[in-house]
Amino acid sequence: MKYRLGGLLFVVLSFLWVAAAGAADYVETPSLAAEVAAGKLPPVAKRLPETPRVVDLKAMGREPGKPGGTIHMLMGSPKDIRMMTVYGYARFVVFNKDYRIVPDILKSFDVKDGRIVIFHLRPGHKWSDGHPFTAEDIRFTWEDVMNNEELSPFGLPREMLVDGKPPIFTVIDPETVRFEWAAPNPDFLPALAGARPLYLAMPAHYLKQFHAKYQGPAKLAKMVEDAQVRSWTNLFIRMARQYRPENPDLPTLEPWMNISHMPTDRFIFKRNPYFHRVDKEGHQLPYADQVVMTVVSSSLIPAKTGTGDADLQARYLRFDNYTFLKQAEDRSHFDVTLWKNGGGSAVALVPNLNVADPVWRKLFRDARFRRALSLAINRDEINQAVFFGLASPSANTVLPESPLYTDKLRTDWSTFDPARANKLVDEIGLTKRGPEGYRLLPDGRKIEIVVETAGESTLQTDVLQLVTDYWKKIGIKLFIKTSQRDVLRSRAMSGDAMMTVWSGVDNALCTPDMNPAEFVPTSEAQLQWPQWGLYYEANGVKGQKPDMPAAEELMKLYGDWRHSATPEGREAAWKKILQINASQVFTIGTVNAAMQPVVVSRRLHNVPKQGIYSFEPGAYFGIYMPDTFWFSAK
Amino acid sequence: MFRYIVRRILVMIPTLLIISALVFTIIELPPGDYFESYVADLQAQGETVDMQQIAYLRKEYGFDKPPVERYFVWLWGMMHGNFGYSFEYQLPVTKLIGDRIYLSIIVSLVTIVFTWIIAFPIGIYSATRQYSWSDYGLTFLGLIGLATPNFLLALIFMYFANLWFGTSIGGLMADQFINQPMSWAKFLSVLDHLWIPVIIIGTSHTAGMIRRLRANLLDELQKQYVVTAKAKGLPAGRALVKYPLRMALNFFISDIGSILPNLISGAEVTAIVLSLQTTGPLLVQALRSQDMYLAGSFLMVLAFLTVIGVLVSDIALAFLDPRIRLQGGSTK
Repeated sequence: MKYRLGGLLFVVLSFLWVAAAGAADYVETPSLAAEVAAGKLPPVAKRLPETPRVVDLKAMGREPGKPGGTIHMLMGSPKDIRMMTVYGYARFVVFNKDYRIVPDILKSFDVKDGRIVIFHLRPGHKWSDGHPFTAEDIRFTWEDVMNNEELSPFGLPREMLVDGKPPIFTVIDPETVRFEWAAPNPDFLPALAGARPLYLAMPAHYLKQFHAKYQGPAKLAKMVEDAQVRSWTNLFIRMARQYRPENPDLPTLEPWMNISHMPTDRFIFKRNPYFHRVDKEGHQLPYADQVVMTVVSSSLIPAKTGTGDADLQARYLRFDNYTFLKQAEDRSHFDVTLWKNGGGSAVALVPNLNVADPVWRKLFRDARFRRALSLAINRDEINQAVFFGLASPSANTVLPESPLYTDKLRTDWSTFDPARANKLVDEIGLTKRGPEGYRLLPDGRKIEIVVETAGESTLQTDVLQLVTDYWKKIGIKLFIKTSQRDVLRSRAMSGDAMMTVWSGVDNALCTPDMNPAEFVPTSEAQLQWPQWGLYYEANGVKGQKPDMPAAEELMKLYGDWRHSATPEGREAAWKKILQINASQVFTIGTVNAAMQPVVVSRRLHNVPKQGIYSFEPGAYFGIYMPDTFWFSAK
Repeated sequence: MFRYIVRRILVMIPTLLIISALVFTIIELPPGDYFESYVADLQAQGETVDMQQIAYLRKEYGFDKPPVERYFVWLWGMMHGNFGYSFEYQLPVTKLIGDRIYLSIIVSLVTIVFTWIIAFPIGIYSATRQYSWSDYGLTFLGLIGLATPNFLLALIFMYFANLWFGTSIGGLMADQFINQPMSWAKFLSVLDHLWIPVIIIGTSHTAGMIRRLRANLLDELQKQYVVTAKAKGLPAGRALVKYPLRMALNFFISDIGSILPNLISGAEVTAIVLSLQTTGPLLVQALRSQDMYLAGSFLMVLAFLTVIGVLVSDIALAFLDPRIRLQGGSTK
């Protein structure tokens, strides 16, 4: 009844509106019509920017929808509230379906020589409270937050620096700003498009009240005390958290805004009436009026999803829930589809090139040995036995969806060829065998590789059991040692852990514009070369300098990629980096593109049947634009 | 009597101090800290983490200081009503616990009443008809209740409640009522969900209580005064209720000590399986993610309630039973 009344009101109002403003204009959202009629909200044409982002659904192969409805989701912890920001995926620039960077919040952007970036905002764009969004918000974020020593004690975000130097920031007019570096900064735009983005705009009009520069000390001190925090910086950070939108008063540019106060087990996100996207028919997006996230024990989420408590759910569903969910499909009116995972390898073995034992270090640094270990693995069998044949055997490299993919990257040294593997190990000179048929090291010890796991996934141990058998056939003994994440990491760093098991690269959907850091020694978290990664991270103060020709070349290519002003130059560097990784087998991948079940209510339209479930890039559902998902009556 | 109470209250202070040191030590024992598990959680979902920022957070929350120093800071705070800060929720601990406590109390109170209603008649019945078929039958039922793991029962109940009655899985109310003001519909929804945890948590308690009541009552029933009362022609009901049952209730009074902390946090495992919005899951999650101030302060509240509960039950017992009172005096 309520719905019908709303619908009637909607028809009447839209007639009025069309009569007033002429045809082919924007259509008022039914759920907001009452507030507009009461004068609490301006009409839709005044809420949208002068040039909104028009989403052409038909061109995307989707159907234009109707506004209304609530998308229910289940989450396992209150901190999962950040998933709303991830799924919402309104960013300055975003990745489109082909992983190209296109403007979203921005009207447009210009890049000159890769080092000067000019942003054009949409005139008339407003925050979710109706206050204009202008260059002042960016200036505030840059000058008063990022460059404020108290608020950002560890300095500017790394993506803002080129060779350690910050950009020159200029406000050209209220809708135009410029960032200018001395050299190209290829990290900048991808960081803005990230699932966890680099935020360049905070709502200055709201946040100034919490900032020492703009607020009197007496009032600020009182607010700090009321909020039970230690200092004004803590207060500011808490009030300004954009990625984890816990503060319902914080204006946002996302499609849905949080209206629930912590602590709660049910987060309600209402549509942002000032959202900047509109469909071709003139409906302001998002279609769904609300998103509701209910927090329950994560182990109950598959069961609750099975009874139809979620309209759109992938988080906390595992592949082994698939059959149960499939069975519940008709009873609970949803469809289960399988999306591909976006990582480089579901389970990867990582030899530590910085291992402390000199004999092992020499052996691991011999490419032939790593290749032999990889060739000995029967990836098809792993796929069948552990992943029901639904993943695909591959080295730890990019997925076929990436423009950088070639078949050779996937298969180089990662086919199943135990004879060749045996020959390679013989070539190295490890021909002596011990009593049980296992080979001996040059110094007479048995070849026993201890693979350490973080002890978090049974998948890893399942795969390792299979690998134990494969490596036995080339005379190498494998022991599994279950450890604990931070112990594992510090043991790899100190060189005590000789080999670890981990997932492959996080982002296997790379484009030439994305940072190839995961394939290059750039981080201490990279277990194949933690010391070299630390050396890079600490600017040569800590860690060890890479002393292996292949690694040195990777570093050089990484520099080429960073300093290249042209897309072609970056692509060339990327391709070489991938080739070196494939031929050197720094990490031994098994299978990738494992399946992620996605449950979609049959009433919810426009959710793609085939997709890639990846945090970066893609923001899980974000890249498929949940603001265009809509509910039909049945 | 007065001296006894004062002495008991004074003893509570060192007891609580020792408990606080134990709690802190045990929470500190596992390797890593909250930030490690936070990073692990993010990376498990494919998110990247800025290690520099983690290092900054660690410093900000004083994790670079030695544990002893942090212990005293925590202790000092608690004495001033500041229970610390939950990293996971980014909120002061007091704000977090307060909200969940009233639901916990409802669940626990209803469960306790349920337990009494079931356990008392059965206990008395099986004690007065010892070794009869009905005694064996009820004892058997009670032992099944005691022996079946609660979480298993919870899963079975939840599944069939959903299949037969359409009750939504988990929680204490249908999802749409969370955070809504109390209404008739919400109340009905709570009732609709409440019976599952009440029966499940109740079964194991019931079984235990039946056994204890039966054993205590049996002891009393064999005593001479009961025989005398019966011989003098006292009706069976009065001969049971007037003296033996009263004497058998000592265990019940001393149970009060454990009821008090149970009110706040009963049956954590069941609460997690059923996803109840009570304090239990909060505590377990805090322990798992090493959200140490939340976990620590929570455990301290429980310890405090236990100590108070034991005091109350001891005083009540001393009032009720002169034997205990006299013995208490003589050990002084």
